[in-house]
Amino acid sequence: MRDGTSLGGLEAMIFQLFDRIARLCVAIAGIGLVGLIVIFGWLVFGRYVLNDTPTWVEQVALLLVVWITFLGGAAGVWTRSHLSVDFIRESLPPLIRTPLRWVCAIGVLVFGLFLAWQGGVLAASTWPRVVPMIGISEGYRAVPMAICGACTVLFSLFHLYELTKGGQN
Amino acid sequence: KEWRTWAIHPDDYPNVVALNAFAEEVSAKTEGRVEPSVYANGILGAQPDAIEQVRSGALAVGNFNMGPMGEIVPATNVLSLPFIFRDEDQMHTAMDGEIGQQFSDALAEQGLVALSWFDGGSRSFYNTKRPIVTPADMEGLKFRVMNNDLYVQMVDELGGNATPMAYGEVYQSLKTGVIDGAENNYPSFDSSNHFEVAKYYSVTNHLIIPECICVSTTVWDDLDDTDKAIVKEAAMNAATIQRDLWAERSEASRAEVEAAGVEINEVSDPAAFQSAMEPIYARFISENPDLEQLIRDIQAVE
Amino acid sequence: MGLSLLFGMFALGLICGMPVAFALGLATVAGFLYEGLPLFIGFQRVLSGISIFSLLAIPFFIFAGELMMQGGIAARLVRLASSAVGSVRGGLGVVNVASSMLFGGISGSAVADTSALGSILMPVMKEKGYDADYAVNVTVTSSVAGVVIPPSHNMILYAVAAGGISVSKLFIAGIIPGVLMCLCLGIVAYWIAVKRGYPAETFPGWKYLGVATVVALPGLMTAVIIVGGVLSGVMTVTESGAFGAIWAVLVTVFVYRELTWAGFKTAVTSAVRTTSLVMLLVATASSFSYLLTLYRVPDLLATAVTGMSDNPLVILLMLNLILLALGMIMDMAALILICTPIFLPVVVGIGMDPIQFGVVLMMNLGLGLCTPPVGACLFVGCVVGGIRIDQAVRTIWPFYLAILAALMLVTYVPAFSMFLPGLME
Ligand code: NA
Ligand code: NA
Repeated sequence: MRDGTSLGGLEAMIFQLFDRIARLCVAIAGIGLVGLIVIFGWLVFGRYVLNDTPTWVEQVALLLVVWITFLGGAAGVWTRSHLSVDFIRESLPPLIRTPLRWVCAIGVLVFGLFLAWQGGVLAASTWPRVVPMIGISEGYRAVPMAICGACTVLFSLFHLYELTKGGQN
Repeated sequence: KEWRTWAIHPDDYPNVVALNAFAEEVSAKTEGRVEPSVYANGILGAQPDAIEQVRSGALAVGNFNMGPMGEIVPATNVLSLPFIFRDEDQMHTAMDGEIGQQFSDALAEQGLVALSWFDGGSRSFYNTKRPIVTPADMEGLKFRVMNNDLYVQMVDELGGNATPMAYGEVYQSLKTGVIDGAENNYPSFDSSNHFEVAKYYSVTNHLIIPECICVSTTVWDDLDDTDKAIVKEAAMNAATIQRDLWAERSEASRAEVEAAGVEINEVSDPAAFQSAMEPIYARFISENPDLEQLIRDIQAVE
Repeated sequence: MGLSLLFGMFALGLICGMPVAFALGLATVAGFLYEGLPLFIGFQRVLSGISIFSLLAIPFFIFAGELMMQGGIAARLVRLASSAVGSVRGGLGVVNVASSMLFGGISGSAVADTSALGSILMPVMKEKGYDADYAVNVTVTSSVAGVVIPPSHNMILYAVAAGGISVSKLFIAGIIPGVLMCLCLGIVAYWIAVKRGYPAETFPGWKYLGVATVVALPGLMTAVIIVGGVLSGVMTVTESGAFGAIWAVLVTVFVYRELTWAGFKTAVTSAVRTTSLVMLLVATASSFSYLLTLYRVPDLLATAVTGMSDNPLVILLMLNLILLALGMIMDMAALILICTPIFLPVVVGIGMDPIQFGVVLMMNLGLGLCTPPVGACLFVGCVVGGIRIDQAVRTIWPFYLAILAALMLVTYVPAFSMFLPGLME
């Protein structure tokens, strides 16, 4: 997903590992997206052809969307494709710009920590609750948030490391 | 102390009017020690979220419907059984007495102090195709139900096709024929504008689900006995106000939808609908044997 | 104090270049900590902000758009459009506005319009020599028509919040203002195209146009399935979105035979990327909105406004300004639910019909969807168009003015919104 050819040794290994993680996130989210479309096809088929609406589709779809969002979101941190307003920072003199880059990377890291932590808390607290109509634990809705948080932390640690080497943020 | 109060309904709804009365009374009688403030329209989240917020003490009070409460307090699923109450009067008698106390105890285990019981209205079926007089009239019709297995089973046992769907989708889906009908009480049938597209309302009164004013246990435990008594009394008064306003509102909404050309009919044989529910009761009791006595007790209430 | 902290943190996040979704989230965390509220509630809002049924249409339209692009549908549609109106200078800009008008009537979501039409039209516009910022500006601003032209989930939300307003009348009321808005945007799109000297092609002849039409037909069926599915009542908007995507796969694999496995994977990957960026933003914005609601920000604003003047014209103007400001920083659905009960009594008090206010509200908040710092359509448009937000914003103002002109007409001339519903009585 990113070009890491300029790196060497351990750096390159970590880079490869993180890049694989990001790819895996996108792959799982992609399967979720295709699944989303398939089950909606089944929904309409069931309603008209079988006259028996599959009642689980809506709830499964809502769950899938959360997984797609957070797994895709995690990969977005690695590829730096999230929407941001960086023209303000880039128009400032380097003396201010460099610390702002640090603040930015640390801010992302901190929010990643909160996502991981609170995702875990939510998953644990909603675990006994059951998603209506599909009977699986409500906790599964919070799990991808924790995964996204953990990935965000890892990826932004790497970005911070790149900053110490004077790289782009 | 500010008591943030959650309500799903808009400001002019009986529930919110009653909650505002509750807020005023509590604030006056505690001389400002407790200041409830009502956040109406569900702006702080949907009910499952709001329940978590009240349990954690972030919100102090919630006006919760017992339907979705079943996910958190399984005993309250009894109230979602179709035809568990004969009519609203019987529901009031049951909930204001020993039976209501049993539900309060179950809620208390999950961090919610139930102070008094509101009317949630009695729900009936409405649809775009034909009056429902006997269960056979349900055959083949697609009805939107709330997300709860019991409601899905209810429609399926009556011969309809249960279709869980988000509330906001219902109007458009009725209009375009994705679904043929839904079920609700008069005030919601009226305020959701579903009566514009569904012209047959059949009085089945299949669900009479009460609502509670619930205070967070953590917030409640901070009160001294005087204030607890004041809050409890204010909640009881609010329930009286809400029930009166609710009855008025139901009547007004009924008149409103009739004037708009909705055909309202009574069912010919209510017992036929009730007996169709027997498999649901049997399944529910076999899955929750400890709740059987509660069901029998409710049915025994005069 | 809490409010200054909230906005201060958000502003800091934006200035240092944090992803907007993360800046919103971090500011919200700060607000929760400051208020001593349990943090998990903020993150519960993040989750429930995207567990909303009507949002499901978004990934479907994005995916369908990606498939149409990868599998050659988009290229054929654009060949058809440009052979039809390519001889008009800036024709593709006008085509863009016109397709938003038609497509917006189907999807009911401005964000879905931006993603679907943007992914089809923007690459072609760029290929034909249009600047990327122009392509983004046209797509983003014209997608706002989708909020006003029926059907619209947001209008149903408003009808419910306002209590007892006829949804069908509200839908009908949106038609003329939506068309008016597109008219204003079309004029601006043409004017800028002329000013920038975008190419006008020679008309290729009727025969070529005919062939282009036939070739594009199976692709056009995607739109027919979506429109037909909804209008005939066979499917909900969300379901028809899913079927649009399924149809797109079938056509590109079996009819055009252009969709390769690699192309399919690319489509899935891009759709995941765009979906997750948008939804993550919706998620954290919903948590941010929770605090604004707790601080009763809209109430404070309402009090400020009515205290300033009792002239209806001035109050309306002030309301427009406040709604625009709120639309810039908050999520549309949340704003509808919060603002309706607060502002509706004010406007009814000065003699405005609740239906007209509904349309005005949609247009105001819709414009907010394409303004920074929190503008979902603008963001999606920039992602799809591959440019930075500041590049788009620098040249977008004439389009804002077009929407504002339409907004002023609808605000001060009731007939625009009230004429059609009046015919129903
Ligand atoms: Na629309
Ligand atoms: Na905005």
